[in-house]
Amino acid sequence: MILTPMIRAVFLCILTAAALPAQHGRYLSESKNAAIGDPQSIAAGAKLYATSCAGCHGPDGSGGRGPNLVRRSLWHPLSDEAIFAAIQKGVPGTDMPPTRLPDEETWKLVAFLHSMIGPASENKVPGDPAAGERIFRSRSTGCSNCHSIAGRGGRLGPDLTDIGGRPLGLIKDAVLKRSRDLSLAGSEGVTVKLKNGQVIEGVARNRSNYSLQMVDKSGTLHLFPMGSVSELKISERSIMPDDYAKRLSRKELDDLLAYLARQTSRRTN
Amino acid sequence: MHQWTAYFLLLTAPAAAQVSYQDIQKGPAQDWLTYAGSYGAWRYSPLKQITVNNARNLTAQWVYHVPNARGLRASPIVYKGVMYVTNTNSIYALDARTGRLIWQWLDTRANKQGVNRGAAILGDRVFFTSTDNYLNALDRQTGVLLFSRKFADADSGITSTSAPLIAGNKVIVGSAGGDSGMRGFLAALSPETGDEIWRTYTVPAKGEPGSESWSGLIEWGGGATWLSGAFDPSTDTLYWTTGNPWPDFAGQPRQGDNLYTCSLIAVDLATGKMKWHFQFTPHDTHDWDAQSWPVLIDTEWEGKPRKLVVHANRNGFFYVLDRVSGQFLHATQLIDKVTWAKGIDANGRPIAVPGQDPTPEGNWVCPSVKGATNWMGQSYNPITGLLYVLTLEQCGLYTSSSKTPEPMKNFAGGGATEEGGQVILRAIDPKTGKRAWEYPMTGLGRMWTGTVSTAGGVVFTGDDDGHMLALNAKTGAHLWHFNMGELLTASPITYEAGGKQYVAIASASAIFSFGLFEPAEPMIPPKVIFTK
Ligand code: HEC
Ligand code: HEC
Repeated sequence: MILTPMIRAVFLCILTAAALPAQHGRYLSESKNAAIGDPQSIAAGAKLYATSCAGCHGPDGSGGRGPNLVRRSLWHPLSDEAIFAAIQKGVPGTDMPPTRLPDEETWKLVAFLHSMIGPASENKVPGDPAAGERIFRSRSTGCSNCHSIAGRGGRLGPDLTDIGGRPLGLIKDAVLKRSRDLSLAGSEGVTVKLKNGQVIEGVARNRSNYSLQMVDKSGTLHLFPMGSVSELKISERSIMPDDYAKRLSRKELDDLLAYLARQTSRRTN
Repeated sequence: MHQWTAYFLLLTAPAAAQVSYQDIQKGPAQDWLTYAGSYGAWRYSPLKQITVNNARNLTAQWVYHVPNARGLRASPIVYKGVMYVTNTNSIYALDARTGRLIWQWLDTRANKQGVNRGAAILGDRVFFTSTDNYLNALDRQTGVLLFSRKFADADSGITSTSAPLIAGNKVIVGSAGGDSGMRGFLAALSPETGDEIWRTYTVPAKGEPGSESWSGLIEWGGGATWLSGAFDPSTDTLYWTTGNPWPDFAGQPRQGDNLYTCSLIAVDLATGKMKWHFQFTPHDTHDWDAQSWPVLIDTEWEGKPRKLVVHANRNGFFYVLDRVSGQFLHATQLIDKVTWAKGIDANGRPIAVPGQDPTPEGNWVCPSVKGATNWMGQSYNPITGLLYVLTLEQCGLYTSSSKTPEPMKNFAGGGATEEGGQVILRAIDPKTGKRAWEYPMTGLGRMWTGTVSTAGGVVFTGDDDGHMLALNAKTGAHLWHFNMGELLTASPITYEAGGKQYVAIASASAIFSFGLFEPAEPMIPPKVIFTK
C-alpha cells in the first residue's frame, strides 16, 4: 500500500503507543480464568471480600483505611493478574496485607473485584432495565431532558450512550452524589448576556478569557468571542439535581442502574 | 438548581441549520463540507481574501494539539464555524476561529488502531469510521453519539481509514488492509441508521466475470478502497480508485490481470452496479495502488465538450478518460524516470518492459514503492486550468519472497526500499499532461501533503521539510512559507469564519490554521460572576 516495511513497523509502534490513553478508565480484562464472570465464583468472592477486605476498602469498595478501589480503577486500571498478585502478596510497605488464600479462592475474590470495578455492561446488575428506561425518560426525574442515549434525549448533560462502560459504583455515585470531587469542565451552567442585550442560558463546553463555546437549552451551539459578551454568570454547582437519593425509591434506583448499566455504544445489530 | 429541570419539560429537538446534499454539491465557499472539497474532487475554493499579493502577510491564527496524535492523516471539514478533525478512533469539534475544543468523542470500544483520514457531514450529523469498521454518527453541535454501526468484519483483514463520502442520501465507505490480504469493497450505508444499502466488491468472487484474471488467491485479492472518491451528480456515478493486488510483491501465485485492482471504477449510486472499469496497472507487483482521488473535469476535447476524468497515478503516468463511457483517451509520463513501462498503448495498457518484477536479490525499478505520486493526490483550479500534483522522482529496490502467502499475517510477498529521490510539485495541463511549472523541493524526499488552490490565485501545500507553503497558482512562484516543525502527512483546506479566510492543515500532531495578519483589537472583557 503506502509504506515500506521498515516505515510500516515504526508506524505500528507509534500507533499502539498512541492508543493507550484512549483506554483510560477501561478495565484491563484480558484474563481467561474461569472464575471471571461466573456468578457462583462472584458470590463466593463477595463473601470473602466482606470478611477480609471490606473493613479497609469499604463494603462497596468505596474506601476507608484502604483506597477506593472503584475510583482508583479510573486512573489506575488493574488487570485481573495484578489484583491476584496484590491479594496474595499484599502491597509491601503499606497497610495492604498479604493473604494466605489458595489460588482457587483468590480467583473468586478477583472475580468479585472484577465485577465491582469492571464495566457495568459486562456484569449482571440486579433490577428491571425496562422499568429503568421509563424512569430515565419520566417527567419526574427529567434525566432524559439533559442526557441523550443513542440520540434520544437532551444535549446539556454528558451523552450516556456508552455509560455501561463505567463501573456500576461510579454510575451510582454520579446519580446520587453530584457534588463529590466533580470536575464541571465542559458542563458548567452559564448565563451569557451579550453586548447586544441578548441573554442565553446553557452549558459552557469550553471557555477562555477570549472565547466561549456553549450549548443552549435547545441543544444549539453558540460560539462567542468574549469581546461580544457583557456579562457571564457561571454556576459553581452542577446543573444536575443533587437530590435523587431522596427522590428515588430503592427499587427505582436499582431499575435505573440496571438500564444505565446496559448502555454501550456498540449494540449488536 | 431545580428550575433547570422545569425548563426541559418540553423536549425540543434542536431546529438548527442542516447540511443538505445540495450544499455539498455546490462545492466549497465559507464551508468545506467533504474530503476533497467538491464532488469533482477539485480541492479548489472560490475564497479570495488571501491573494497572490497579500499571501506574504499570512500568520498562524491558532494551533490545536490533537491528544496523543503522532501522524495525523486527516483533512478537516468545516461547517458554520466548526471544524471537525479525526484521529485514530476519535473525532474533535473545534471552534474554527479560535481552535478551542467544543467536543470530542473517543471510540473506547474499538479494538484496532489505524490512521483516519477525516469526517463527513450531512443534516445535523457528522460521520467517521473507527478502524475496526464501525460507522459512527454524532450530533454535529454537541457530539452526542447517534449510532455506531459495524459495516465490515475486522477479522477478515479489513480495516477502515478513509473519510466517508456523502452522495445523495447515502454514506459511502471504503475498505483498507490490502497489504495483508482482504477483499476490497465499497458500501453505501444509510445516514439515519447505518444500515447497508449496497456493497460492491472490487475483486470478483470465483466464477464471476473478471475472476478469470486470477490464477489464485482471488479470495484475498485486495483492491482496497482506502481513500475517498469523486462523484458526478448529473449521472449519479461514483468514481473510485482501487488498491494493489495481494501479495503486493509476489505475482506468481496470482497470474493474470487481477481485476479490479489498481483500477478506476465507475459505480452507479442507486444500485452499486459497476458501470465500467479501467485498470491502470494490470497484474501490479510494485504496490502501486491507484490511490489518490480521480478528478472530474468538463472541458472541450478535440472540438467537442466532453466529460473527463483525469488521474495522476502512482505507476508514473497521468491518464485522461471519458468518464461517461470509460474510454481511454490519453496518457503521458508524470515523472521523468519511469523504467517499468515504455509508455501506454492506444487502449490504455502499459507497454511493459520485461524483467521488472521483484526478484529474490532485488530489482531496481522506477518509480519507487512510494510511487510517482500517492494518496495526497491532486487539485484542480478552474481559473488557471491547471492540475497541481505532488510528484516524487525516486527509484527503489523491489525484492520478492518465495514464502507461501499467508493472509492477515502482515505478509506482502516481498518488500521494497528506496533511495534518495526528490519531491517536485508540478502544475500540469490536464488535457495534454504538459507541465506549466514546477516547484522542486530539497527535503527528505518524503511527500505526504496534498494541495488546495483558490480563486485568490494561490496554491497551498506542504514541503518535505515540514513547511506549509503558499505558491502562485499561475507561475509556481514562492509567496510564503511557515515552519510547522514536523513532517506533514495531510492535505490543507481553506474556509471562512467570521468574515475571515483561513487555511488549515494537520501536522503530525496538531491542526494549524493560518490567516492574514490583523493587529489585535483592544478587548473589553465581560463581567464574570460565579454563582452558588
Ligand atoms: C489493613 C487494611 C487492608 C486490608 C485488610 C486490605 N487492604 Fe487492600 N489495600 C490497603 C491499602 C492501604 C492499599 C494501598 C496500597 C498502596 O498504597 O499502594 C491497598 C491496595 C489494594 C489494591 C490495589 C493494589 C494496587 O496495586 O493498586 C487492591 C486490588 C486491594 N488492596 C485489594 C484488597 C483485597 C481484595 C483485600 C481482601 C483480601 C484487601 N485489599 C485487604 C489496605 C488493606
Ligand atoms: C438539569 C440537567 C440534568 C438532569 C435533569 C440530570 N442530569 Fe445527569 N448530569 C448532568 C450534567 C451537566 C452532568 C455532568 C457532570 C455534572 O455537571 O454534574 C451529569 C452527569 C451525569 C452522569 C455522569 C456522566 C459521566 O459521563 O460522567 C450520570 C451517570 C448522570 N448524570 C445520570 C443522570 C440520571 C440517571 C439522571 C436522572 C435521574 C440525571 N442524570 C439527571 C445534567 C443533568
